[in-house]
Amino acid sequence: MIHFNAVSKYYPTKQGRYYVFKDINISLPTDRNIAVLGPNGAGKSTLIRMMGGADMPNAGRISSAKNISWPLGLQGGLQGSMTARENVRFVARIHGYKNTKPIENKVAEFAEIGRFFDEPVKTYSSGMRSRITFGLTMAFDFDFDVLLIDEIGAVGDANFRKKSEALLKSKFERTKLVMVNHSVSALKRLCQSGLLIKDKTLIFYDDIDDAISQYQQEYSK
Amino acid sequence: MLNKRTSLQIMRDTIHALMMREIKTRFGSNRLGYFWAVAEPAIGVAIMGIMFTLIGRTAVYNIPITLFLFTGILPFTLYKNLFNQLAAAIDSNKGLLSYRQVTAIDPVMTRIIIEVATYFVVYILIFSVMAWLGFNALPVNPLGLLAASLLLTVFTIGIGLILCSAMTYWKDTKKLLGFVNRPMFFISGIFFCAPMIPPQYWYLFDWNPVFHVTELSRDSFFKVYVTPVGSWGYLSACALVSFSIGLSTFYLCRFRFIRS
Repeated sequence: MIHFNAVSKYYPTKQGRYYVFKDINISLPTDRNIAVLGPNGAGKSTLIRMMGGADMPNAGRISSAKNISWPLGLQGGLQGSMTARENVRFVARIHGYKNTKPIENKVAEFAEIGRFFDEPVKTYSSGMRSRITFGLTMAFDFDFDVLLIDEIGAVGDANFRKKSEALLKSKFERTKLVMVNHSVSALKRLCQSGLLIKDKTLIFYDDIDDAISQYQQEYSK
Repeated sequence: MLNKRTSLQIMRDTIHALMMREIKTRFGSNRLGYFWAVAEPAIGVAIMGIMFTLIGRTAVYNIPITLFLFTGILPFTLYKNLFNQLAAAIDSNKGLLSYRQVTAIDPVMTRIIIEVATYFVVYILIFSVMAWLGFNALPVNPLGLLAASLLLTVFTIGIGLILCSAMTYWKDTKKLLGFVNRPMFFISGIFFCAPMIPPQYWYLFDWNPVFHVTELSRDSFFKVYVTPVGSWGYLSACALVSFSIGLSTFYLCRFRFIRS
């Protein structure tokens, strides 16, 4: 379970504090894949980032006894001035691996970006970035209980998308997902439950179809 | 599969990982930075040494001018580098803070270790070469010299932590620093010492802790030089105050760094 205890999050804007989430109290199950639903700017990425420890709520606490991944998204996670290889090495080292070579090779093999693997990440296209970010989690045998995915498949080409989905599915036995994706069909394919962001709070639906129909009712007028 | 690590082990692994990355950026991928770490103070001393020789001064209180200058410029280099490195420590590692293992203090610690280690290596290297060239390059009071460097490090860490925190409130802090730090070179006693200035003007310099470091370093290094203004008490007080304020502001801001 992932517990949200009185979580609030705001961003300072020119017109004062803008609350993205206000006083969330909810517990999410970690035995199923959850799709996060909400229109642009509702706070999907913020939610994923807070769950992954890349951002902090302004009040309250998010806690879990499970092993949760860092947020796999397009921004953050990779340092632009370092090459992909250096980024991979870094992540391997902070997770306590002494010998990073096999992991480097695995990511390089998965990402298939050729010699750009040794160029600074800031020179990459968003598709290339997502290949590295995704390859990074896959190459390690971290055995995360929950993998946080923020629209990372959306920028990949068809080949890459197929490959990453297959890999995800092979890990479903142990690793569950919390994912953001604007493609409803992808969400239906991968997730069993849905989490709707509405009125600065979260509503959990056991069935993904309920969540999607509720989402469409709520926001497509 | 990995074993569970304690928080201390995680921190050690993280600092190791950051260190590997930072050394590359600090010294350049072609390792030319190692050369500059030694060359920068050496060139500074060479230029000032030539100027002193041209106006007919080859020694200050029987201290060879090169030794005199090195004892001033080396601590100042530590101050300058540590200051600049710490002020940017968080900003230049922002992307890596999104991993939960990496906390805001880790890049700061990493940079402190790198700068202090570099300083010691460069210091020993330069004075070994001076000794080899025939100068009497052994300090009279090595412990005093070490203490001065240590207090300077503590003082600068405090300032650096305050700057990191200030940066989260006001991005332009960095620009202001350039202005503040520029005159430091001229008021830190690198190419002069207190007895060269009339006592009634000491007040212009003796508020500056880095000036005290230079004075005390020379006092500890040379037998013939006794500093009239350098005060261990004042320097320690500055170090203590800046370090405590630095740690407190950094602690208060620890989530702001991650929140971005």
